[in-house]
Amino acid sequence: MSGAREKKRAKKMRNQPASVTLPAEPGPFPAGGSRACPPPGDVRSEGLLQYQQQKFLHQSPGTSYRKDQYFPKGQNRGGRGRGRGGWQGGCQSASEEMPKYITASTFAQARAAEINAMLKAVAQKSSNSLVFQTLPRHMRRRAMSHSIKRLPRRLHEIARKEAEKAVHQKKEQSKTKCRKARRRHINLVAEFNRRQRKNIWLETHIWHAKRFHMIKKWGYCLADRPTEKSYRACYRAMTKHCLLQDLSYYCCLELNGEENELLKQLARICSPDTGLMFGAEFCLSGRFEGSLNLYRADHYPEDMLGPVTFIWKPKDGSENRQLWIWMHPALKQDILNELKEIFQCSEPEEICIPEPFTTLIQEEKQTDVAVSLGKKRKKEDKDGEKAVPVKKIIGDGTRDPLQPYSWTSPATGIVISDQSMEILRYRLIGPLSHSVLTETLKAAALQTEMADSETELNNWWVENCKDSEKVSLHQQQTAIFELLEGISSPAEVPAGTILGLTVGDPRVNLPKKKTKAMPDPEKYRDYDKVRQLFLEGVPVGCAHSFIWDHDICKNVTENKISEQDLNHMRGQLLVPGSQLDLGPCESKIPVLLVQQPGKMAGEDRPGWGSGWDICLPKGWGMAFWIPFIYRGVRVGGLQESLKHSEYKRTPHTPNDYPDCPAGIQFAKELENSLLEKFKRRPPAKRANYVKLGTLSPFLCPWGQLTKNWEERLKASGEFVCPSFPHTESCATKGQSLCDPKPEVVKEASPETGEVEQTMEISSEGALMTEDVAGTQGFGEGDETMTRSIFIVLRSEKLLMQLSAWCYPTSGKDRRDRLVSRLGQKEMTEHALLPILMSYPRAIVWVNLSLLRKGNPELHAMICIPTEEDFLHLSKDQLFCGPQEPKHCDIFKHKIQKLKRKKKKKEEEEEDVKALESDPPGISDKEITEEHKDLILGLWSDPLPDVTSHCSRTLLGYVTRGDFSLAAGCGEALGFVSLTGLLHMLHRQPTDKKGLVLLRTPASLQYRFARLNIEV
Amino acid sequence: MAAAGPGPRPCPSRPPPPRRYVLCEVVSEDPRCRQCIEDRAVGLAVREAIARAHGDYGLACCCVSFTVKYLNAYTGTVLLRCRKDFYRLLCSALPLVRQLESRNQRYPCYFNTLHVGGTIRTCQKFLIQYNRRQLLMLLQNCTNEEERRSIRQSVLSCSLTEEQSQSGDEEDDDDTETD
Repeated sequence: MSGAREKKRAKKMRNQPASVTLPAEPGPFPAGGSRACPPPGDVRSEGLLQYQQQKFLHQSPGTSYRKDQYFPKGQNRGGRGRGRGGWQGGCQSASEEMPKYITASTFAQARAAEINAMLKAVAQKSSNSLVFQTLPRHMRRRAMSHSIKRLPRRLHEIARKEAEKAVHQKKEQSKTKCRKARRRHINLVAEFNRRQRKNIWLETHIWHAKRFHMIKKWGYCLADRPTEKSYRACYRAMTKHCLLQDLSYYCCLELNGEENELLKQLARICSPDTGLMFGAEFCLSGRFEGSLNLYRADHYPEDMLGPVTFIWKPKDGSENRQLWIWMHPALKQDILNELKEIFQCSEPEEICIPEPFTTLIQEEKQTDVAVSLGKKRKKEDKDGEKAVPVKKIIGDGTRDPLQPYSWTSPATGIVISDQSMEILRYRLIGPLSHSVLTETLKAAALQTEMADSETELNNWWVENCKDSEKVSLHQQQTAIFELLEGISSPAEVPAGTILGLTVGDPRVNLPKKKTKAMPDPEKYRDYDKVRQLFLEGVPVGCAHSFIWDHDICKNVTENKISEQDLNHMRGQLLVPGSQLDLGPCESKIPVLLVQQPGKMAGEDRPGWGSGWDICLPKGWGMAFWIPFIYRGVRVGGLQESLKHSEYKRTPHTPNDYPDCPAGIQFAKELENSLLEKFKRRPPAKRANYVKLGTLSPFLCPWGQLTKNWEERLKASGEFVCPSFPHTESCATKGQSLCDPKPEVVKEASPETGEVEQTMEISSEGALMTEDVAGTQGFGEGDETMTRSIFIVLRSEKLLMQLSAWCYPTSGKDRRDRLVSRLGQKEMTEHALLPILMSYPRAIVWVNLSLLRKGNPELHAMICIPTEEDFLHLSKDQLFCGPQEPKHCDIFKHKIQKLKRKKKKKEEEEEDVKALESDPPGISDKEITEEHKDLILGLWSDPLPDVTSHCSRTLLGYVTRGDFSLAAGCGEALGFVSLTGLLHMLHRQPTDKKGLVLLRTPASLQYRFARLNIEV
Repeated sequence: MAAAGPGPRPCPSRPPPPRRYVLCEVVSEDPRCRQCIEDRAVGLAVREAIARAHGDYGLACCCVSFTVKYLNAYTGTVLLRCRKDFYRLLCSALPLVRQLESRNQRYPCYFNTLHVGGTIRTCQKFLIQYNRRQLLMLLQNCTNEEERRSIRQSVLSCSLTEEQSQSGDEEDDDDTETD
């Protein structure tokens, strides 16, 4: 039976006396145990001894003694006549003539021992019940479980023991204070502050922590996914209504300085090839938000730093400009360092720093409370620590006040300051997000006089309202904001539109019940104006917001009316439940609305997932959050944002940036976690990836992939002019080859500077590989040269060309149209060659949608179908895909050998341990041994040629794949080798272009998928 | 009136089937018979006796949940268990046990039924009483002064431990639990 049951049974039986039998020696009893009977005075000890013997039955040390001891007795008890010799040599040799004496005493001793054993068994309760449960019902009393004295006296002792045990089992109360004390506001705030010292909490942390699975990432506590079932509901919200996300963890770097200086240096870290520049006209005016990829200065296309979005503060006459660069926290340190380097901002600016980052809203109030209550409460406390007011941390709780957060350049006067957690950012995704916004936010009322001369509340707004120009600007902004009610989807507004606004306190017009914000068709007015908005975007001035002004933000943060006061005022309303009118006391909050473009690339679902971002000054997080919730939005966490980008088919930071440091870090962490998970399963219950032909199920070896493809190309001699000899240094040759075709060179000209570098590095890599003669492990290559070994192709022109080439010609006119629209060349060797030459080791972001069945998974392999596969597919429309033949596990034998060796060694070590008893050293040794161990089912390091390991040639890997609710079929996103892709496209028949095979790591089945490059 | 469940162990949700415990004493002329007092030998001997008395049917009835729960070779005590429905068959067969056989030796003996109880506990209680009575009887009948002294000692020992048992035994108990 099962072990648990055995154990339970053993526990139940532990008080029962075991059977007592004679020792297992056959034959007649020995004549005369020399030390037979114990002295008669020692009967009690003998009884105990016998009990012990009962416990350890048949154990060698006791047997001989016991045998000696008992044989005389047995003999005497049973038959008088026979074995007299039994006790002849006994210690009481004097009693030989009176056999009855001995008989009686041993007889009595055996009986006494048995009585003892039985008494013990009877006295112990055998069941698992408590003492009072064993009492008959009429003897039970209500308080028995609490008070021992309610029990009969004879049970007191047992009950006391039981009660002690129960106390031990209870969880140790770690907190010294009672719950009431712990939940008291001051203590609660202190506790929260303590807990957010290590990881930054967002302002909505408590709200999220009650509803979400929280994870600690990038120094923040972030909501991962809701605890409720909401996978589909979140998707529905994204497509039909509105999904809200707290993106306050995104970091904002503020650059302050002269426009020309800024642009000059910033141009070094990005490239016009990839799309926008910081100096793009429509962004520079401050009307639109731009997004681009940053590279290390002058290193394009290598050394990617990560994607960012940026907003310029609209021009206000002076030469100094303000620029916000928003980025993912994983990228922040790299980008900040790079920015500091290019602007030579080394000096920490000291004027800015002393400003307390933990702003105290309720400080004064609370000290008052402390003083008034202190007399009563604090005196009883051990020490009067009332002098320390407890402040709620707003903003970054982990900041070290001594560390600089802003740097200035002595030469140019450019200031870089780290504004993360100073500005909150919420993202509303979905077609009705503008309805939510318009319902929640109400433009601030004009105010010409201060509510209270003492406070600073709204003094900036009053000042502002005195200026008629600014008043008109505010009215213009308000008018445009109200126009938003009339649009049907945020996607209609130009991408990245920025709208500045000053709004009233959103808590004032909180609806009584949670309702879904819906667009009101009656407000469909001013059609012309709406159309003008669509076409031209927001007028220049309207992008202005007071949120750019730090002093105003600080003022707004500090003068927030607390929730408590607001509720108090609500309670004093004459008509309960009527609208609260704060009049001049109502706070005015500057916000910034930024339109987020949805799906821009590709042909299906244009504008899907568009929405608005709202930036708020810190401290106002919950004040805006709850009103949004009351408009029926659904809240998502990190998982939802991942899905959002997946359905948009855009790369997600940092998962899909394998060439930036954060992406490499992410991939490593992912590999470790997957490997841990894999190792936790027993070997027989996990996939044997060696047999499945999956070389690296937990990590995508991009470096190895691109290297292998380069070698393949060289070996095949394809795309290389016959006159061109195979040599190592193809860099110079590549250039010379390009020379006779001037137009081609022109096309590749932006990269020519880099071509050399990549070539150099690649040739270095080639040299290295030659040194190690193919045995070089990808792990090594991964660690030492990943950053230089491959690049991700982000040049828009090239991507566009590739995208056109990927289209099958079945819809011939469409492709023609596309080709003509994009001004593309036909795919010929002339067109391919320069690309191959300039990007020998590049990977391309692609998306794949499965033709039929199949659900792609993480790290699925993208392979090139053979001609037979196509033949099969054209014959049989239901053909799912070919199967990979099973590989054989070449490591199994080795692992078994190792195991045997290890076992032997362990045995030896155990012997050593027994001798030396020195556990720490041995455990260390074991760990190192384990590290070297091969893992059953995984390829151990040096990987063979990844491309040709399986029956179908490997092209790339999937980084994200799932069933897409948006497309209704399995969809995957991933990277393929550029060389491999061109090779494949070049050879595929025109109507089958872009067809690839997908295989998940734990399966042998290939599935057909269509490869697309969306630009 | 058939047996409640076919399996030896009923599923935990059901209460255990009613059982009877038969406490008996092995009496033998030959002291070497003690060697034969072990689980297997006793069980076999009893089963054989049942088969002789009641045939295959009786044997099958009795054998459901039949075990030797406890035995003490030094005092000759044996505790048998069987289903309540058929304990009469067992009891009627017990006097027919004539010998115990183990390790190729067989010794004549007979079984003396002392008590039939519903739980092990009642049997244990009875056994205490019974042993105590025996000791007292021994004390009364003894003729020799020294013998009387030693018997008194053993009687005192067991009764004494009863008084102290609460403390002593429970400490023992605690030891076993920490293991």
